[in-house]
Formats: sequence, C-alpha cells, structure tokens
Amino acid sequence: MNPTTPTEPRVPKLTATRPFGILAEYLTPADVMHAAEKIRDAGFTRWDVYSPYPVHGMDDAMGLKNSKVGWFSFFGGVAGFTTGMSMIFYMNGWDYKLIVGGKPLFSPLYAFPVSYELTILFASFGSLLGMLFLNRLPRLYHPLLKSWRFKGVTHDKFYIVIETTDPKYSETQTRATLESTGPNHLEVVED
Amino acid sequence: MASHTTKVAPASESRLDLSKWSKLPMILIIVGAVGLAFAYFKGDGGAKQFAYSYLTAYMFFLSLCLGGLFLTLMHHLFDSGWSVPIRRITEHLAFLFPIMAILFIPIALCSHQIYDWMTMDPPDHSLHEKAALVNEKTWYIIAVVLFAVWSFLSWRLRALSLAQDKDGAAKWTRGMRFHSAWGIFAFGFSLTLAAIMWMKTIEHQWYSTMYGVYYFAGSVWVTLVTVYVITLALKKSGPLAGVAHRRQFHDLGMLFLVFTVFYAYIHFSQYFLIWNAAIPEETFWYVEREVGSWWQVGMLLLFGHFLIPFLTMLRIDAKLSIPIMIVMTVWAWICHYMDMAFNVLPHLLPKGYETHLADVGALCFIGGVLSMVFVKYLKSNPVYPQRDPRIAEAMGVYVKPATASVASNLEGHA
Repeated sequence: MNPTTPTEPRVPKLTATRPFGILAEYLTPADVMHAAEKIRDAGFTRWDVYSPYPVHGMDDAMGLKNSKVGWFSFFGGVAGFTTGMSMIFYMNGWDYKLIVGGKPLFSPLYAFPVSYELTILFASFGSLLGMLFLNRLPRLYHPLLKSWRFKGVTHDKFYIVIETTDPKYSETQTRATLESTGPNHLEVVED
Repeated sequence: MASHTTKVAPASESRLDLSKWSKLPMILIIVGAVGLAFAYFKGDGGAKQFAYSYLTAYMFFLSLCLGGLFLTLMHHLFDSGWSVPIRRITEHLAFLFPIMAILFIPIALCSHQIYDWMTMDPPDHSLHEKAALVNEKTWYIIAVVLFAVWSFLSWRLRALSLAQDKDGAAKWTRGMRFHSAWGIFAFGFSLTLAAIMWMKTIEHQWYSTMYGVYYFAGSVWVTLVTVYVITLALKKSGPLAGVAHRRQFHDLGMLFLVFTVFYAYIHFSQYFLIWNAAIPEETFWYVEREVGSWWQVGMLLLFGHFLIPFLTMLRIDAKLSIPIMIVMTVWAWICHYMDMAFNVLPHLLPKGYETHLADVGALCFIGGVLSMVFVKYLKSNPVYPQRDPRIAEAMGVYVKPATASVASNLEGHA
C-alpha cells in the first residue's frame, strides 16, 4: 500500500452540508497544467489550482491576467510621496518656520529623502494590503481544509477545485469535464 | 502566450529586411570624418571644440561597451538562464574595447586642449594636492592599463563563449565564470578610473565620491535599452526568431526600469549632498551647470532621464510594446548623450549648451566605426551561444536530462 495515501478518519458528521466544489487530484505538475488548460478553455471562472510549490507557466495555463496589486502599490507610493512633501512643508515652512543651515524654509530637495522613504513604505503597505484585499484575506476558515485528501497539497499532490458558485457549474457536467482531464482522484468537497 | 509551447512563426510571415541599412555605417563614417575635419580646421578654437565634442561622443559610446561588459559579467556571476539568448550581443558590445582603444588616440593627442591641469603652471592648490593621481604621466599610463584590462577581459569572455559553440563542454562555462569573478572587481575599479580621469578631471578642483557609480548607472541604463532594440531587430529579421522570447524582452525592460531609478538615486544623492553641505569647492560644479541653457539640460536629466521613463516603464505591457520601446530607446540615447554633454561641455561652453558641427561629426564617426565592427562581429559568429548549458531553458524548451534513469527510478518508488 502506498504510504502517502491518506486515510479518512472516522468522524461522525454533525450537520447536513451543501457542496463547496469538486476536487480533482493530480500526481504531477504536468498533469495539473494540462488539466488547467482544459478547464480554462471550458470557460470556468470560479476555480483554482493548488500545488505545494509554484509551477512555472501555470498563470498562462489558467488564463490568469496580470495581478492588479500593482495599482495598490502605485497609489500607495503616490500617497507616500505626497505625505512626505506636505508633512515637511507644513512642519518646517508653515506651522513652525525654522531656518536650518541657511536653507530655504521649504525646498523639495531636503524633503525628498523623507518623501522617497515614505513612497517606498506606503507602496509596500499598498502591495501587502492590496494583496490581502484581492485574495479576500485574512480568512480563518476554508472549506477545503475539511477535505482529508487535500492534505497532500502541502506535500506532493496537485489539485484543481471547481466551486459550485461557478455559473457554468453542474454536478454531472463538471464532474465529467474534470474526469476527462485524467485526475488521480475526484471528490465533492462540502462547505 | 503559453510559455511551455513553442510557437513556430509561419513561413509566410514577412521578416524585417535589414540589408538596405548595410551602407549606413560607411555613410556615417564619411559624414562624421568630414564634419570633424571641417570643425577641426575652422579658425581659432576649432581644435578645442573638436576635442570636447569628440570626448562627449566617446564617453557616450564607451558607456555601451562598459554596459555590454557588465551584463556579460553579471550573466556569469548570477548563472542566469534568461540572458543566454542576448549574451552574444553583450559579448560583442564589450569586445568593441580594442576598437575603442584606437578611437581613443584623438583624445590622447588632444589632451592638452581638454585638460587645463596638463598645462597649468604653476599648479593651483587643488592640483597640487591631487598631483599623485592627476598628472599627465599617470593619465596616459591609466589609459593604457584600462584598455589592456578591458580588451583582455572582453576578449577572453567572448573567446571562451565562441569555443563552447563548437563542443558544448562545461569547462568553457567554468572559464567564463573565472574571468567574471576577477573581472567584476577590475570592472568596478577601471570604470571609476575612466570616469574620473577622462570626465571629472576636466574640472579637477571638484570633489564627488560618487562620480564613478554615477557614470556606471547611466551607462548600464542606456546599454539595456540598446540591447533591447538590437535583440528586437535580430528577432524580427530572423536570427533570433526562435530564441528570444517574451522573457528576454520583459527582463531587459525591467532592468531598464531598475536602472532608471538607480541612476536617479545616484545623481540625486550626488546633488543633494553637495547642495546640503554647500561647500564652495563642491558647489561650483553645479552652479556652472545652472547658467543659461545648462539649466534646461539639467531639467531634461531630471524629467527626461528619470521621471518620464520611470512612469512609462512601470507597466508590464509597456516593457513589451515595440513602439514604446523603440521611442524609449531613441529617447534614452538623447538623454544619455545630454548627460555626457552636461558633464563634459560646460567648461568649454560656460554660457549655455549649443550644438556644434563637431558634436554631430563625432557621434556619426564613432557610431559608424563601432556599428560597422559590431555588424561584422554579428555576421561572422553564431548570433547566440549555440551550446550553452542553459540555452534550452532560455528558449522555453524542455530537454529530458541525459541521466533519465535517475528520474525513472524515483518515479518507481512514488
């Protein structure tokens, strides 16, 4: 018997549940890549690929477009730069006028290092928060964590899950589509 | 745009025809030589104008050779995969150094026209203090040493790479890494010396501890975008059609953005420290560069060299857009040339920048000679490293490892 195959613990089900999606397991990155291309071409929208490590080319295979996180970074950076400039102008050139080293009360030159640091700081805040926001994180619970099979995602298995909320989802059709991609195992995950 | 499937261009696709440009280098050389000769013999100060114009254009093209050498060194030091298809281009750019050594002769002959300190008698206090480095004998020795080091390094890197084309042996890669390891130190010192001896000593009283890295940042900046268009031309005209992909263009564009920021960071730091300290023997250099139209040139560097490329290159699709990148390349050439002018010419033209016949002549002449040699290099050698260990990886082709038995053994245990 294959020692890595997980066995289902005997836990009694407490409540009646509805399906979250269909989980298909693959053994190699190549398998899951080809399967992802088929799912992409079939026109599904609410689905994802899960793997223990990044698989090169998966973005294209899934038809994912460039992430929108860059916009959060950009506007974070703009906000940081503006904050730095206006903060120093307010403090040194307006609220408490102070001559330092014979320099003008306000000059973008000496405000620049601080503005530059704040550009980087706010841009990284924008990136992090934008990423969390777009990923709908933090999230304390995910239905897939209930699946005993899904344990392999942190080890050596690859998964595709098509969620029931997908407009093209139908219990039988979707199962047939996934079966045609040659998965190692197929199961319905409950919410 | 699936990266794991190799798309073969249909045979009917029209390829860029570069043959009609084949006479261009010769035309440039003739036009440039005539322009330079005309400027040189024109009345008083012709020789001085010639020398300064020639030095400006020379430092511009030296940037491309140094940038080519740097990218080759980096490729080997980082064991890069993506840059294999463009490596022959950077190797050729670097191996223009022997030609640059010959092209340096007019500067060596006209050195008295450019460097006041060579004829300064008695020396001023600053020159007296710096005499250990800033003296005529050392200036010539350094020039000889620099060209010897650059020529040797770029020659070895290219020769080993060409040798690997024949048998694909791993020892060549090891050899290139060996030369890159000592080469990067030699590169850093030699570039700094070149920038200081040939540009900074025009006004020898000045101090700046970041002058070398300033020239370095601008050099690699302009080289990246130049390599981009050369790769693009070779892809569209055929030789690199199946070899250079999205990856190479994306990464070159990305590095161009990085060096846009890096150059701005360095140049701002140099300016800011001098502005903040406000010591006369440092500030005079920038004060001279605020006179007349030099102010506008400074603004061009601020907005044209940094802000416009920075905002343009932020987007990934801009890095992959052919029209944007071609415009950006020409723009970068203009900005880098004006950067060189900003460094070299104010001593000659204290009232403001003006374009002179000799400027155009020097650009055409040196550009013509270098492009002629570069095209000859391209034609007489394989256009990319044929048997580099990473060439398949760079092309996005999967090649089964030679020891396939190991993989199948592992699979059996799974």
